[in-house]
Amino acid sequence: MFNLAQAILEWRRQMLAADIKSPVPLDELETHLRDEIEQQAKSGLSEAEAFKTAIQKIGRANTLQNEFKKVESRWEGLEWKLTEILLVFGPVLASLVMGISVLLNRRMTPAQKLSCLAAFATFTLLVWGGRLGYRVFPVIRATRVRIAIGISTFVLLLIQHVLFLLVLQRHDCTVGQLPVAVAWGWITPMGAWASLYCGIETAARKKLALPDL
Amino acid sequence: MYCAAMINKELVAASTEPLILSLLASGESYGYALIQEVKRLSGDKIQWTDGMLYPVLHRMEERGLIKSRWDERETGRKRKYYSIKKDGKTAMVRHHEQWSLVHGVLSGLRKEQYV
Repeated sequence: MFNLAQAILEWRRQMLAADIKSPVPLDELETHLRDEIEQQAKSGLSEAEAFKTAIQKIGRANTLQNEFKKVESRWEGLEWKLTEILLVFGPVLASLVMGISVLLNRRMTPAQKLSCLAAFATFTLLVWGGRLGYRVFPVIRATRVRIAIGISTFVLLLIQHVLFLLVLQRHDCTVGQLPVAVAWGWITPMGAWASLYCGIETAARKKLALPDL
Repeated sequence: MYCAAMINKELVAASTEPLILSLLASGESYGYALIQEVKRLSGDKIQWTDGMLYPVLHRMEERGLIKSRWDERETGRKRKYYSIKKDGKTAMVRHHEQWSLVHGVLSGLRKEQYV
């Protein structure tokens, strides 16, 4: 005996398995399916036949998902474009501000200033290097894995920062030495992390060729 | 993505957005009703694959041409209604101008052939 409620539940399961998101757009598709079943039943089909015709008309789960993915990808693409802009200009701007403040610091020796500037330049080059040298990074298809790598390496970065702070506290740094230590101990590792994140993300996005609508 | 009985799929695809905008310009509606209305108006010659209309609607909503709201009817069935936005009306006028231009050119050429 055909059970319509059960059949619709099974259809929802198939849609969810194909990654059609709930409640939107799955609920909207279900309303459409029920409308179509009603219409087919009115034209004389049995409930089972009406259901079969309606699911055929609505389309296969994978095909639908591909179309919805294009809309989602466009958003992701825009977000990534903004992140890229931030990653290109952010390090330059940050390095410029830090560089000027170091140059204006009268308590630092010329060698210390030069060392700080070198650290800031390394930071910028590291971030840019990740983005430009994405070909050397592995292509990780799963977004979740990329996010997991990003978060776990960021945690490692935080641990490194805390450890560096502990080491720094044990040493009596002069006012001139402190910016140099911070530049190499904190800023440069941040550049390394950003480089890894940019490299992995750019490699995935470029090589997977996300659809551009 | 589309199946058309007589009109080729490229033309059906290109006409989807202006058709949706034009239908919504006369009042808010929902996916199923839009499909039925297009079928009726075209004498069954334009048939959208049902499920494929929704990604198009979502894309148009994302572009700010239309907006949507959920409504629950007495049957308890939730329905998503779409309505046209100001940008959608502007886009619709542009579509109408472009399609009229193409239609005008084709009509002119056709007349020339019969003179």
